[in-house]
Amino acid sequence: MHMAITLTINGETKSFDAPPDMPLLWVLRDILGMTGTKFGCGIAQCGACTVHVDGKAVRSCVLSVSAVANRAITTIEHIGSTPAGAKVQKAWLEAEVVQCGYCQSGQIMSAAALLAATPNPDDSDIDAAMAGNICRCGTYVRIREAIKHAANGQS
Amino acid sequence: MSGKMRILTGIVVIAIVAVVSGVWIIRGPGPLDFAGGPKVALADYRAGKPTGVPAKLEKASLVERGEYLAKAADCMVCHTKPGEKDYSGGLGFKLPFGTLYSTNITPDKDTGIGNYSDQDFLNAVQRGKRHDGARLYPAMPYTSYTYMTDDDVLAVKAYLFSLPPVRAKVPENTLSFPFNQRWAMIFWSAVFNPDTRYRPDTSKSPEWNRGAYLAEALAHCGECHTPRNLGFALDNRKKFAGAITAGWRAFNISSDKATGLGNWSDADLISYLSLGHAPGHGSASGPMGEAVDHSFSQFAPEDIGSIVAYLRSVPPVASPDLPATTAPVAPASHKEGVTADARGKMLFAGACASCHGWSGESPVSPMATLTGTWAVNDPAATNVAQIVLSGTRRHTPDGALSMPAFGNAYTDDEIAAVANYVTARFGTKGSKLTAKDVAELREQTAE
Repeated sequence: MHMAITLTINGETKSFDAPPDMPLLWVLRDILGMTGTKFGCGIAQCGACTVHVDGKAVRSCVLSVSAVANRAITTIEHIGSTPAGAKVQKAWLEAEVVQCGYCQSGQIMSAAALLAATPNPDDSDIDAAMAGNICRCGTYVRIREAIKHAANGQS
Repeated sequence: MSGKMRILTGIVVIAIVAVVSGVWIIRGPGPLDFAGGPKVALADYRAGKPTGVPAKLEKASLVERGEYLAKAADCMVCHTKPGEKDYSGGLGFKLPFGTLYSTNITPDKDTGIGNYSDQDFLNAVQRGKRHDGARLYPAMPYTSYTYMTDDDVLAVKAYLFSLPPVRAKVPENTLSFPFNQRWAMIFWSAVFNPDTRYRPDTSKSPEWNRGAYLAEALAHCGECHTPRNLGFALDNRKKFAGAITAGWRAFNISSDKATGLGNWSDADLISYLSLGHAPGHGSASGPMGEAVDHSFSQFAPEDIGSIVAYLRSVPPVASPDLPATTAPVAPASHKEGVTADARGKMLFAGACASCHGWSGESPVSPMATLTGTWAVNDPAATNVAQIVLSGTRRHTPDGALSMPAFGNAYTDDEIAAVANYVTARFGTKGSKLTAKDVAELREQTAE
């Protein structure tokens, strides 16, 4: 059963037809063609699909689209236009965080949400915020460094 | 009479009195005895119509009326194995003394109930007697269904017989002696099955009587929510005080203000029953989730209202192991609040925090909010561990929200650690689950 759905994504209003229980991730990738957000595990356990809903990092693969109507959604395509997101992206490039790159959209989204809420995170804050984002290449050391650099404004 | 005979007779009389009064004490009151008002036969009750279907279905066909009643009695959940055809049976109930399988109640003549006459069906549903004369085990809640009218039971039969027959032989039960002796259920039934139809209470409103009929005869709330006595029958002295069923805790639904439903608003109760969620009270999962999905969500609004009116009247019984108030929202920062159990915290950070938040108020949906739920405020953490093991899926008019099952992803030790962390952080008292406890919970859940 499809229904007309309107979402606010990256400040723009998007209208489309979809089943109300379709995961937001599918809407983003398959209906709206916004493929920056990645599909990893499909059960909210890897973090690749992380987006922001009202500024908080959530997993879009288990979030039905009907649950996010009327809420502000931000994706990796737009995160660079937020102050925290811009800092994270800059630090990411300068620290050469990325190896294969598959998880990085999710990592950047979680890191940006962390810095927006906790501008100067310590290691335990980084652990608590980033534990749900898995990197198969094992770039965790560089991720941690980049988050600290972004927080300090140095790079 | 000689002296010896007199003594012997005396002993026999004392023994009979002891047995009868023992049985009497164990049996206790019936499910509706608390109401106390004068009861009349249904035919003599003029104030309203507690039985049958809601007004909008009054003129519907027998099969349609039967469908409503079959859903109200929630036949399907127990009589369907997940992934198999509806009503084709084979769901295993894991009991401490073996596994019991539900029967195929499709109209298949060989493996189902296709050969049942009306009287056969009435005997099964109201008296626990099978077509071949064998006795049913009370996993089939015939001590509740016995309160259904013949008309309503036969409407359910008409509905079941309108469905396609499914040829599906269910596995043999694996009960151990003496529980494999079906004939023994004759005595159990004689003591615990009142074998009587619903009798309206004239001191109560028509709405209450409808609610009582729905809750007792059809929805059989007490089968999970009322503790059991020595004879494994319902102990109505503690009516609706909560119990463990199929490895999940069915919480107190008496009118107790602290640990029951006494402080729930009508809107909360209506929302919980019809949608499986009430703000600040969590979401129905496990067996109650199934009851909402397949039964309560299909009820007419006035029937939900009647059940609420009835629940309000059930005397308060406290659950002494639950706190008087549920814990408030936890701090937003992971650093504040509970810091013990580093392993539980690590698991929570990786697997749970992105949906449930560090405060317990979900950034995703109110349905995933932990704050205020009994599950996290239960120091035994039964339902926290169960939902981590098996996940949940809530259907609503706007779609579905699901939590994945972690039972195959984490060890018993890890699940115990995360349950202990969750109850300590979001509840009033942290649980002390061990890996062994979690292994036992896995064992108890139905297949």
